[in-house]
Amino acid sequence: MSAVNPAKPKPSGKHASQGGWKRQAAYLTMVLPGVIFLLMFAYLPMPGIVLAFKSYQMKVPGADSFFKNVFLNSLVTSPWNGLNNFTYLLKDAPMLIRNTVGYNLLFMVVGVILQVGLAVIINEMRNRKTAKVYHTIAFMPYFVSWIVVMYALYAMIAFNGFFNQIATSLGHEPIKYYGQKQYWPWIFLLANIWKYTGQGSIIYLATLTGFDEQLYEAGSIDGASKWQQFRYITLPQLMPTIVMLQILAVGRIFNGDFDMFYSLPNGSGTLRQVTTTIDVYVYDMLKKGNLRNSFGYAGAGAFFQSIVGFVLILVTNMIVKRHQPDMALF
Amino acid sequence: MTVLDKKEAKRLLKAEKKAEKHSQARNLISRRMNVFFNILLIVFCILIIFPLWIIIISSVTSESALTTYGYRLWPLEFSVSAYTYLFRDGSIILTAYKNTLIATVSGTVLSVITVGLYAYALSRPDFRFKKFFTFFSFFTMLFSGGMVSYYNMTRSVLGLKDTVWALFLPMAFSAYWVIIMRTFYQSTVPEAIIESARIDGSGEWRTLIQIVCPLAIPGFATVGLFSAIGVWNDFRNCLLINDSAKYFNLQYTIYQTMNNLRFLKENASRMGGVNVANLPAETFRMAMAVVTVGPIIMAYPFFQKYFVKGLTVGAVKG
Repeated sequence: MSAVNPAKPKPSGKHASQGGWKRQAAYLTMVLPGVIFLLMFAYLPMPGIVLAFKSYQMKVPGADSFFKNVFLNSLVTSPWNGLNNFTYLLKDAPMLIRNTVGYNLLFMVVGVILQVGLAVIINEMRNRKTAKVYHTIAFMPYFVSWIVVMYALYAMIAFNGFFNQIATSLGHEPIKYYGQKQYWPWIFLLANIWKYTGQGSIIYLATLTGFDEQLYEAGSIDGASKWQQFRYITLPQLMPTIVMLQILAVGRIFNGDFDMFYSLPNGSGTLRQVTTTIDVYVYDMLKKGNLRNSFGYAGAGAFFQSIVGFVLILVTNMIVKRHQPDMALF
Repeated sequence: MTVLDKKEAKRLLKAEKKAEKHSQARNLISRRMNVFFNILLIVFCILIIFPLWIIIISSVTSESALTTYGYRLWPLEFSVSAYTYLFRDGSIILTAYKNTLIATVSGTVLSVITVGLYAYALSRPDFRFKKFFTFFSFFTMLFSGGMVSYYNMTRSVLGLKDTVWALFLPMAFSAYWVIIMRTFYQSTVPEAIIESARIDGSGEWRTLIQIVCPLAIPGFATVGLFSAIGVWNDFRNCLLINDSAKYFNLQYTIYQTMNNLRFLKENASRMGGVNVANLPAETFRMAMAVVTVGPIIMAYPFFQKYFVKGLTVGAVKG
C-alpha cells in the first residue's frame, strides 16, 4: 500500500507521531461511517460463503431461535452436505471456466494491443486539439451502461436491425443473431473493445507523456525513424506498465463482467453455452426457485470464484511485487 | 517610428515562434502518417458513436416506419411520439427517473462524505490505527462473500428489499475510492499547513473542514463523479434487491422493458388511459435508452479530467 504514498510522513518523535487520545478519537469518528458501510455490504455477506457446503432449507425462526431472520436462521440450521454442491457444479464447470477464463484472456490480449496503439497514436498526433477530441470520444463508452449497449446491440443485430437491413438490401438472407452461438464470442469481443479501449488507453497515455523527451530527440538525431523510436524507445519503457497491468488482470480472470454477459444476449436460452460465465451461472442458480437447494449450488459457484480469485490475486501480486514493487497492490 | 517598431517587434516574434515550431517539428511524425492516423481515428470514433446514433435515430422514427423498414441510419418518417408517451403522467420512466435521481444525489453526497472522512484519517501519519483501517477497507477489494450471500443479506437481513435505499447504499463506499482520495490528500495537502493549524490550536475536525476541505475539492469531485456514474448506471443491485417496479432505477426499468413487452404493457395501462395497442413499443424503448444515457453523454466531457485523474491513480490499484 505504501506504493501510492508519494509524500513520506515526516519522521518525528513518539509523542508527535501518535498524538493525544483526543486526536485518535477524532480520527476514529472519521473512519466510523466508512466502517459501518464496509461492515454492512462487504463483511456481513462474507460468512454466508459457507452456503457452498450446506443443503439450504428454509426454516422460519421459532421463539427459541437465536436469529429472528429467516435467512440467517435457515443458514444456521441447514445441514452440512460436504462437497455435494460442488459435484453438482462439476458438470457445468468446463463450460463455465472456458467461458470466463477464455473471454477474459481474449479481452486482455486484444485489449492491450488496441489500448497501447490508441495511446501511442494519440500521443503522436501533430494537432493536440483534435487528438483531445478523439480521446474524448473514445472515452465516452466508459460512461454508457451495458444496458444501453444492450439496446444499441439490439438495434443493430435484431431481425429487423440495421445489419439485417443492409444484408437484405444486398440480397442476403437476414440472420437471427440471437439464436446463433457462433456470432457471440465476436459480439462480446467487439462490445468489450468498444467499451474499454478509450478508458484503458488512459493509463498508457499518462505513462507515455511522462517519458523523457530527450531520448526521442537523441533518437531522431541519430536517424531513428518514428517506427524505430516506438520500437526501441517507447515500447521498452512502456513494457513494465503493460506487463504489470496484465498480471493484475490475470488476478481477476475468474471475475466476468456480469452486466455485459447477463444483459447483451437478451435472455436468449439458445446462447447459454457461450454466454454463461461464472457470475451469470451463480445468478441463474440463485433465481431457480424450483430447485430445492438452489442457494447451495449457487453458493458453490460463488465460493469457487471468491476463493480462486483471492488466491490468484495474492499470487499475481506477489509476482508483481518481486519485479515492480511500485505497481503492487499491497 | 513607434508604430514601425511595434510592427518590427511583432514580425521578429513571429519569426522566432516559427523557428521554434520548426525545430520542434523535427521529431514529429510525417504529414502523410499524420493524415493516416487521423483517418484511422475518425473511423474509430465513427464506430464508437455509431451504436448510440442508431438508438437516437430509431427513437425519433415513427413506429410504423420502424416496423416496416427496420432500423436505419436515418429516419424514414420522423416522429417524436415516443417521447410524448415517455413523459406522460404515470409513465414508468418518470418513476424510474425520480428513483435514479434521488439515488444519484444521495449516493454522491454520501460517498464524498464517508470516503472523504475515511481517507483523511488514513492519510494522517499520526493515526495510530492507520494500518488496521487501511487493511480493513483494502481486504474488501480482495475477497467477497459472493453473490448468493450478498443477495440474502441485503434483501432480508439489512431489509433493503424494495426500497430506494437499495439503489445507492450498497454502492456508497468503495475501498478503491479510499485509495484515490488518500493519494489525493497526501499529494496536494501540505503537511505544514496541517501542522501550523494544529499549532494555532485548531482541532482535527476544524482543520479538516476549514483547511483541508477547500484544498481537496478536486479529489471530492473525482470520488463524487465516480459515485454518481456508478449509481446512475447501476444495474446489478437493482436486479438483486428490488422486485417491485415502484423502486426500479432507470437501468433496470429499461432492461425489463427490453426483455418483457408484457412489463411495458402492464405499466402502460397505468399511464392514464393510453391505448396499449397504440403504444409505440419499439420506438418507445429506444427513446427510453436515449433519456437514460443522454444526461451522462452531455455531462461527461466537462468532467472528463476528473475521471482521467481517478483512473490514472486507480488503474493499477483498482
